Amino acid sequence: MNKLLLKLAITATAGSLLSSNPVVAQPSPITSKTARVQITQGPEIELSKESLTIITWTSTNPGGTDEHFGVVHYGTDPNSLTETAKSHIRLNPSHSSTVFRVRLDDLKPGTTYYYTVGSMGSNGAADGTKSTIKQFTTTGEPQRAGR
Amino acid sequence: MNFDENMSPFQNRACGFCHMPYAGFSGPIPSVNLTMVAYPGSFEFRAGKRTAQRYTYAPNFPVLNFNKTQQAFFGGNFWDSRATGYLLGSPDAEQAQHPPVDTQEHALPDTACIAFRLSTAVYRPLFETVWGTGSLDIKFPHETETICDTPGGASIFGTDTMPIKLTPEDRTIANNVFDHWGNSLDQFEASTDVSAFSSKFDEYLAFLAGVAGATNPMTPDEIAGYNLFKGKGNCNSCHLDGRSTAPTPPPPDGTAPNSTDTGVTASTAPLFTCFGSANLGLPLNPRDAIYYQNKPDFYGFTANPDGFGFRDLGLGSFLRGVAAPNPNSDWTQFAPTSDGQMQTSTARNVAMAPPACGSTEAPGPYFQKEFFHNGYIKSLKQLVHFYNTRDVYPFPVTSGHCPAGTIEKVNCWPMPEVKNNLDMTVGKLGLTDTEENQIVAFLQTLTDGFVTPYPDINTFTGTCTTCNPATDPNCSPSRQGNGSLIPTPPLPPCGSDICGVAPVPSPPIP
Repeated sequence: MNKLLLKLAITATAGSLLSSNPVVAQPSPITSKTARVQITQGPEIELSKESLTIITWTSTNPGGTDEHFGVVHYGTDPNSLTETAKSHIRLNPSHSSTVFRVRLDDLKPGTTYYYTVGSMGSNGAADGTKSTIKQFTTTGEPQRAGR
Repeated sequence: MNFDENMSPFQNRACGFCHMPYAGFSGPIPSVNLTMVAYPGSFEFRAGKRTAQRYTYAPNFPVLNFNKTQQAFFGGNFWDSRATGYLLGSPDAEQAQHPPVDTQEHALPDTACIAFRLSTAVYRPLFETVWGTGSLDIKFPHETETICDTPGGASIFGTDTMPIKLTPEDRTIANNVFDHWGNSLDQFEASTDVSAFSSKFDEYLAFLAGVAGATNPMTPDEIAGYNLFKGKGNCNSCHLDGRSTAPTPPPPDGTAPNSTDTGVTASTAPLFTCFGSANLGLPLNPRDAIYYQNKPDFYGFTANPDGFGFRDLGLGSFLRGVAAPNPNSDWTQFAPTSDGQMQTSTARNVAMAPPACGSTEAPGPYFQKEFFHNGYIKSLKQLVHFYNTRDVYPFPVTSGHCPAGTIEKVNCWPMPEVKNNLDMTVGKLGLTDTEENQIVAFLQTLTDGFVTPYPDINTFTGTCTTCNPATDPNCSPSRQGNGSLIPTPPLPPCGSDICGVAPVPSPPIP
C-alpha cells in the first residue's frame, strides 16, 4: 500500500473543491471546422485477417478538435447497420488531408459485412462526411449455426 | 538529494540509481534495460513495472487537467499521470514524492523518513539555508532508525502508513520537509543542469531565427527525417515541434522529404509532446519484473498477487484510484476511455547515451536503453518501425510466439497488451526503410549537449554493449534485444483488482 495514501486523501478533499479548469498551457490548438468534409480516397479495407479488420479512408482535414475519431457503422444486413466501431485519430493541423483508420475486432470469419464511414470530434459532433454503403467479406470458414 | 543513497532503508538507493545524467536521467544500467526493465529497489528482490522516465523537461508538464473541448487529459507526471500536481502546483515536484515510499523502489515505510535522513545529511545546513532555520527540527522517537531501516509493506507495519509516531506539530513539519524535497528536486530538473535546451535542433532553431553566429548544423538526412516527422510520419501531431502550421511546399500529404522549411516559429522552446496520453498498442513484455513478484517476500509482502494476470491500464487505473488516489472524483467516469493510455513523452533526449558508447543502436559499441512504458522496444529503429508497421504485421500472438518464418519486431508484431482505446494515428505510415532511418537520425538531433556540454554526461562507469554482426543475427538496430525474448506463458485473465473495479473497462479486458 502506497504510504502516500493519507496525505493524498486529504488532497482528494481539497481537490474536489478546486475548479476543473486550472490555468494551464493549452497544448492542443483547435483549427476551424471545415465546412464540407469530403472523402478523397477510399474507404477500403486496409487489412483483413480472421481476428482483425482495419478500414481506412482519406478525407479533407475536418478541423475542429485535435482529438478525433474515425467511425464505422456496420452490420451483416445492409439495411440495418447496428454495430459501431470507433478509433482514435489525432488530427495534424498542418496537413490538408487526414487519414482515418478504424479497427474492427472480433468479426465472424467468412462473413459479409456492410458499412459506412464517418468521423467526429471529441465532443461527438459528426464531421458530416457522406459515405455510401460498402461491403467486404472476412477470411476464414464461416461458423455453422448452432455452434 | 538526487544522488543521496541514504534515502532508502538499506542506504543503497537514491533517485539517481534509476535516473542518471548520461541517459537523460533515465534508466542507466544496460543489462536491466535489456531484460527486467524495472529497476531493483532498495530491497533488491523487488522491482516496479515500468521504465524509468527521463527527468529532462518533466517540469514543463502542466498540472493534470481534463480539457472539456478535447475530452482528454493533459499534464501530470509518470506514465499514468498519477503525479497530478494538485497539491504542490507542480506534477514534477509531486512525482519526486512517490518513489521514496514506493515499496518497489526506495521503499521507505513513512514519508517522515525523508526528514529523518535529511536531519543527519552532510548537506543539512544547505537545506536549512533554503527552507529556513528549524525546518528540520523534529523530535524523532528513538525507534525511528529501526523503522526507517525496514522496507515499506513489511507485514509488521500492517496497514499503518505512519509508523513513526510524531506529535501533530512534528508531523506537519515532516510533511513540509517532504514537500520541500519535491520542490527542490523539481527545481533541479527544471534547471539547465538537466533541461538544457542545448540540442542540435535548438541550434537549428537559432539559425532559422537569424541569431548572430548560429549556423545550420543539420545534415541532409536529418532534415529529411524532420520533414518526415512533420509529414508522412505524422509524428508532430502528438510530439508537437513548435513550428508553424503552414509549412511549404503545400500539402496534400505534408512536407516532402527534400523540401526546405520556410515556416515560422509557433513555440520558441518546443517540447515535442502534447502532454496528453495515448494507447499505442505495445505488446505485453513478459520479461517485465512485476509479473514474477506474486509470492510473499522475506518481509511478508506480495507486490503483485495477480502474477501474469496483471495488465497495465495506465491512465485508466489511476482514474479508478487503483494505482494511486485520484484527487478528483469527477474524473473517474473517464477511466474506460483512458484504459491503456500512457503519457506522450517528450521526444527530447530519447537518443541520449554516454558519448563513450556512441549511440543507442547496434552494432555499436552502443548503450542499451529501454523505450516506451514497458521496455518492449529496444532501439530507436524498432521504435520508428513499430509506429510504421504495427498494423502491417499484426499477429494474434503474445511476445515470443511469432510464427515460423517471421521475425518478431521486424515482420511480426504481437497483439496489444490492451486493445481498448487503441490509437490509430499510427500503425501504418508507409515509410520506407531509408525513411525510418532518417527519422531516427532526426530524433538524434534532439539530444542535449550540442550547443554546450551536458553536465555529467561522461559519468557512465559501465561497459558499452558490443556485438558481432558476422556471428550474431540479432546484432542490428532492427533486431537488437531479440536474443532476450522469451515465450509469454499462457496468460490468466486480467485480475479483478484491476479489471473489475468500477467503472470497468469497456469492452471487458480478457
